[in-house]
Amino acid sequence: MSVPIVQNEDDRAAFDEVFLPHLHEAYRLAQWLAGSPSDAEDIVQESALRAFRGIKTFGAVNARAWSLAIVRNTAFSWLAKNKPKTLVSMNDLSPAEQRDLEREGPRGERVETPEETALLKANAEEVHKALAQLPAQFREVIVLREINQMNYRDIAEITNVPIGTVMSRLSRGRQLLMAHLGDRR
Amino acid sequence: MIASIRDSDELQLNAYCDGELDPVSATEFERRLANDERLKARHDRLMSLRQAVRSLPQPEMPARLEGLIRKKLDAELPSNVTILRRRNWSFQSLAAAALFGAIISSSAMMMIAQYGQRENVASEVVSGHIRGLLAPQPFDIASSDRHTVKPWFTARLPESPQVPDLAAQGFALLGGRVDVIGHDPVATILYKHAAHTVSLTTLRPGQSVPEQTIAGYNVRSWSDKNFTYVAVSDLPSADLASFERAFAAAAPAPEIR
Repeated sequence: MSVPIVQNEDDRAAFDEVFLPHLHEAYRLAQWLAGSPSDAEDIVQESALRAFRGIKTFGAVNARAWSLAIVRNTAFSWLAKNKPKTLVSMNDLSPAEQRDLEREGPRGERVETPEETALLKANAEEVHKALAQLPAQFREVIVLREINQMNYRDIAEITNVPIGTVMSRLSRGRQLLMAHLGDRR
Repeated sequence: MIASIRDSDELQLNAYCDGELDPVSATEFERRLANDERLKARHDRLMSLRQAVRSLPQPEMPARLEGLIRKKLDAELPSNVTILRRRNWSFQSLAAAALFGAIISSSAMMMIAQYGQRENVASEVVSGHIRGLLAPQPFDIASSDRHTVKPWFTARLPESPQVPDLAAQGFALLGGRVDVIGHDPVATILYKHAAHTVSLTTLRPGQSVPEQTIAGYNVRSWSDKNFTYVAVSDLPSADLASFERAFAAAAPAPEIR
């Protein structure tokens, strides 16, 4: 059985214009999601291939968000296939844990400890470690926001969740990071 | 000391630090920050966390990766076939092509030069749009009332366009700003369509700007006898086309200037 060739030179030109400019960002995102340079390389290569084959689905709206969405989705499917143990997905948590992670609590109030208001004093290594250990759904929004510097709307598009969820995940993810870094002292 | 901070405060604080609050809410929030020490402490801590994450050393992509990807994609193209076919070209047709090439090249150069100019206009218009989106608000004058925006332009520019409100057609008037294209100040009218902003820049009439995508933004242009209009947005081109129809239908009559 032979695979029909559907891509042509125009598709290649479109790929060069749409996906290639974001390759370095793609690599960073992949490395933060996968945690290792060699996995990131595999993910970026597979993302590029997927982007090329799907270049006709690019809607000429936001090339950067479109490209990073492919990288994000490829990373998660790649991890699920090759490193299932490293991927703590949202679905592996119990409903109560999910609720806990997504929201503060039933009353929408939280208790603040004095440590939480002290300025953060952590070195790069500690911050790196804390971020790397964050559950994937929080890590990805923080990486997209701080490292790829995307706005809420683009993050929502890339992660395929509503903006409200992006906001609560960012807020909760940052609190988890702070708690983590606070515990270390 | 134990204090409780409301959940919505936490979200607002995050949105404020991320620059995602609208100007009015941001000002309100700043007022609260100034009067609430505890909130201010949380703000400072959040900003120090953001700074710490942002300044993490970032992994650099190995240079060979791009080459690897290009090679992989080349393998997907039916390029071998093309190369064989090219070899079959006779010298005669090559010579003819060269001669033809020489004849058309002078006019081609002119076309390329013109094309370059039009590209420039389009990219300057897109730059204006992007600058507008990055600013706290994309307009110099905020008003959904065309009777406010139009006189504002008239007071600043030699030629000012019609400013129809197209809210009924799904494009609500946001306001206007003055962009500088080339060295000329020109009027740009802002419209909002759902969460998308459309910048409509008005240039001297008789220019042709091809439909294109620059930096992810769609550019669409049309002319009437008063202006050449260039619309820029992240909307799909089909939506920009319906914007053109709505605008052209609403602003047909030349106004006495």
